[in-house]
Amino acid sequence: MPLRSDHTRWSTPAKTFHWVMALLILGNGAFALWMDGLKPSLQKINMFALHKSIGLTVLALFLLRVLWRAIDRRPPHAPAPRWQALAASAVHGFLYLLIVALPLTGWAFNSAHGYPLQYFKQFNLPALVEKNDTLSQVLGNVHEYLFWFLLLVLVPHIAGALKHHVVDRDDTLRRMLPFGRAKQGSPTPPGDTP
Amino acid sequence: MNPTIRRLSVLGLALALPFAATAADYKVGSGSTLGFSGKFQGQQFDGSFGKFDAAISYDPANLATAKFDVTVDVATAKTGDTDRDNALPTADFFDASKFPKAHYVTTGFTKDAKGDVVANGNLTLHGVTKPVQLKVVFNPAAGGARLSVTGSLKRLAFGVGSGEYKDTSTIADDVLVNGTLNLLPK
Repeated sequence: MPLRSDHTRWSTPAKTFHWVMALLILGNGAFALWMDGLKPSLQKINMFALHKSIGLTVLALFLLRVLWRAIDRRPPHAPAPRWQALAASAVHGFLYLLIVALPLTGWAFNSAHGYPLQYFKQFNLPALVEKNDTLSQVLGNVHEYLFWFLLLVLVPHIAGALKHHVVDRDDTLRRMLPFGRAKQGSPTPPGDTP
Repeated sequence: MNPTIRRLSVLGLALALPFAATAADYKVGSGSTLGFSGKFQGQQFDGSFGKFDAAISYDPANLATAKFDVTVDVATAKTGDTDRDNALPTADFFDASKFPKAHYVTTGFTKDAKGDVVANGNLTLHGVTKPVQLKVVFNPAAGGARLSVTGSLKRLAFGVGSGEYKDTSTIADDVLVNGTLNLLPK
């Protein structure tokens, strides 16, 4: 359980942030799409309150993650063509952006609709914008489309990880897996220098 | 009117009033409001009734003859949220088609420890009658009077909120009621 990342693997906090947030974001998105079609009921209201609380949790985790990222080391990129390294960085940038934009647009959507925002029935958070029906509709659509966009950006993210694992047979995916560790003494492929 | 005459006339009124046979009778003038405040997901929301009527007999010097008789069209509740306003008249809350009117009648008036006037009365809401107390502030005004009342009640005591809507962790049980009436002589 390494606290800090080294050149062979990601640290336990880094892995935890990655997988817990992946699970929360994808689960929360699927949850919202499913319950959006339900008939109005108090249960639905409570489910949406849960969706909002999970979204706020993602936002809080993101802030902690950025903080952690600033003080933790990073394993080096596995050898790859320059365009692939650039693409990977661009995809990571988009994912970070979406991780923030999804909860924030949800929060603003909630405010524009005039709903209260209560975190797991414990305390209330202020509105980001004034009540405004037109804005509420726009933000609701933006919030949903951002999720679809996130899924789109996940395609090259996952495809890249699998390509490294299956084609290149390097440690890119393995070093991020919950209990994965780099192959001991795995040689650097000939002709490549890290 | 200069201050001395005003003071004298108030004094005269105060002396004369105890001997009046009945309290002054009023009806509700324009600009009067009857409202309520609840709590949803930890946040207060305010509502008001678009249609209500009241017969008020009130004389601060002779509370024994005072009486409030208020009738409210519960279907006219508006709270600033379309979803909520559509839900309130349904069977989940007021069930306005079955119980269109709420009715409040006082049974007597007392003074609390601070000297404030308290109206004791019965509220019939959603077919349930329970005692409800209102704090009364009465101020004579030009051509009538201004009456403010505040009180609180438990919505579930009246069965307002059925089935899953009994959940007080989402919709609080406590509801504040308030009224500001511009009273005109009858």
